[in-house]
Amino acid sequence: MAKEGLGLEITELRLGLPDAEHVTVVNKNEKKRAFSQIDDENSSSGGDRKIKTNKSQVVGWPPVCSYRKKNSMNEGSKMYVKVSMDGAPFLRKIDLGLHKGYSDLALALDKLFGSYGMVEALKNADNSEHVPIYEDKDGDWMLVGDVPWEMFMESCKRLRIMKRSDAKGFGLQPKGSLKGFIESAAK
Amino acid sequence: MRPRVNYSFPEEVLEHVFSFIECDKDRGSISLVCKSWYEIERWCRRRVFVGNCYAVSPATVVNRFPKVRSIAIKGKPHFADFNLVPEGWGAYVGPWIKAMAAAYPWLQEIRLKRMVISDECLELIAKSFKNFQVLVLTSCEGFTTDGLAAIAANCRNLRELELRESEVDDICGHWLSHFPDSYTSLVSLNISCLGNEVNLSALERLVSRCPNLQTLRLNRAVPLDRLANLLRGAPQLVELGTGTYTTEMRPEVFTNLAEAFSGCKQLKGLSGFWDVLPSYLPAVYPICSNLTSLNLSYATIQSPDLIKLVGQCESLQRLWVLDYIEDAGLEVIAASCKDLRELRVFPSDPFGLEPNVALTEQGLVSVSEGCTKLQSVLYFCRQMTNSALDTIARNRPNMTRFRLCIIEPQAPDHLTHQPLDAGFGAIVEHCKDLQRLSLSGLLTDRVFEYIGTYGKKLEMLSVAFAGDSDLGLHHVLSGCDNLRKLEIRDCPFGDKALLANAAKLETMRSLWMSSCLVSYGACKLLGQKLPRLNVEVIDERGPPDSRPESSPVEKLYMYRTVSGPRLDMPGYVWRMQDDSALRIS
Repeated sequence: MAKEGLGLEITELRLGLPDAEHVTVVNKNEKKRAFSQIDDENSSSGGDRKIKTNKSQVVGWPPVCSYRKKNSMNEGSKMYVKVSMDGAPFLRKIDLGLHKGYSDLALALDKLFGSYGMVEALKNADNSEHVPIYEDKDGDWMLVGDVPWEMFMESCKRLRIMKRSDAKGFGLQPKGSLKGFIESAAK
Repeated sequence: MRPRVNYSFPEEVLEHVFSFIECDKDRGSISLVCKSWYEIERWCRRRVFVGNCYAVSPATVVNRFPKVRSIAIKGKPHFADFNLVPEGWGAYVGPWIKAMAAAYPWLQEIRLKRMVISDECLELIAKSFKNFQVLVLTSCEGFTTDGLAAIAANCRNLRELELRESEVDDICGHWLSHFPDSYTSLVSLNISCLGNEVNLSALERLVSRCPNLQTLRLNRAVPLDRLANLLRGAPQLVELGTGTYTTEMRPEVFTNLAEAFSGCKQLKGLSGFWDVLPSYLPAVYPICSNLTSLNLSYATIQSPDLIKLVGQCESLQRLWVLDYIEDAGLEVIAASCKDLRELRVFPSDPFGLEPNVALTEQGLVSVSEGCTKLQSVLYFCRQMTNSALDTIARNRPNMTRFRLCIIEPQAPDHLTHQPLDAGFGAIVEHCKDLQRLSLSGLLTDRVFEYIGTYGKKLEMLSVAFAGDSDLGLHHVLSGCDNLRKLEIRDCPFGDKALLANAAKLETMRSLWMSSCLVSYGACKLLGQKLPRLNVEVIDERGPPDSRPESSPVEKLYMYRTVSGPRLDMPGYVWRMQDDSALRIS
């Protein structure tokens, strides 16, 4: 029954759009194109297994209304970012807004991950197994400490304390990252 | 020849009978019985609901219903909430206010949703209606606190002023001072969406001099140490929304707050709780057992504190919360909140790539098992299974609203990696009174076959990133007899299903399709076939006829109307019945 109705309308459709074959071809192409953004995201996510690049946001998804987005994100100027450390079994969150500079951040990271060798990573960066990096607004991974604190705070989306061996593979130069800050804090 | 006997009731009697009929549908049916009932009904209609501000013109409403006291109007498509409707689309309330100002001097109530209202409109409202009592603005925009000042200064009998999730240009916190000192009739005040600080002294005076105040929802900027003063001034409150719920930890602040809350014996609803400092939460514990409504969906309370709070609210009927509640919290709710009817769980980190909380399908399963009165669900999560959906459907066949949003588009059943067709199929099969459904996750045309087969009472359906072909949409349009609103985005649905079900579209209030495969040619065809629908293509790239007729349109919005084309279309909206060559754009 349903298919019969659809069949009739297909006939009508042909009358309205003479080049049925052309329509079919275009539809196939358009069908693929409609989901190209998602496909790109998937392939991008699959390809970068070691470091996940940020997927571009689909407009209007997930369906959180604009008002809620604005009000939730301005959490009384709280600036929580996620922190992960290679080898640690869970992520943590840290409020950058509560810290006044890189020294405070170094101490906070020490508290969060001290039992996983963070102390050594900070005190002796040249020889440590870990290097702190962060993802900025553009989705690029940057070495912590290169830019002024305020700029870092504004652009930091999340932090990662990376193993040195992985850092070398990405061409990062970990020398002098937070070492100076932790030493001055210790004084 | 016997004398003719008049068997009909006098008009006064019928009018009295009709006054007991409140349901809009029933009113509509009454007016169709015969001409005299039509006339009687139209003269005694006091309350009008306009589901789409472009479905009917203000003049038509005013002419048909001369004695309206209360009106509610909706404007933009629902997807405007998610930035899918471009700026300047329309939904201006100005023409409505002007028409009502001229025709309804005794209008008392205006409720607007997703509309654009200017300060000039608010000033016109303030000066035009002699006994104005209720103004409710939900998801509205375009006005400032200057407009609110006009309302405050001129509406002497105002009972309700509710600003819900609206965009207000918050110029000045002193608009509250415009309420005259002699003004005491306030019953409900909701300023939760204002961004700036309000004049706290004016607010405290206002609150304490209005003895009938029942609902007070503060904005975030109201500091916690002033909350106790407000509560002491209005111990009769039934619903309270706090402002920010954090301050320096000072014992006297906590003591004052706890005492103030203890004095509010009538409190049934709580909301607000921005920026919570957990140490202050025990201040509300004494009133928790009486609460029937709790909205913590802006409260960033971590799981243990949140569970402790919610666990004390055993009378809850309505709970809105962030996903910090986690599965463990939902299990507590399932065990203790036996009257729960509505649950909404919002994401705390909707754009994060990975889960930041332990909320899964299991939490919703627990609630469906424990809360036997549950009817309405809105649930954001990152994983779901067919098995869980089937369990939920069997546990709660009385559900009328089920909105599930799996945050990653096209996420499959996370255990079997199958599409979620069978799960949603179970929902529509077992929940026979389901009126509203929102789909998400990986779905094929099969789910739409289920919906078309079982969704006989479905009125609103929302679909995203789902389906395989036109057949999916065909199932919905040909099977859902009561469908009124359908919104679709990013689905491979095209011309065939729409053209095959054109007659169905005339029975619906509206249809939205964006990022689909509907061609410009099909839209024009629909416009010709359906003269009582406005078929509008939204295309910010320029006139759609500059591209091939077979190319898909970006956004399509069609709605039933008796008033013909809109007069306020922006340049990027193209009505398919119009000859676009004649338009100056």
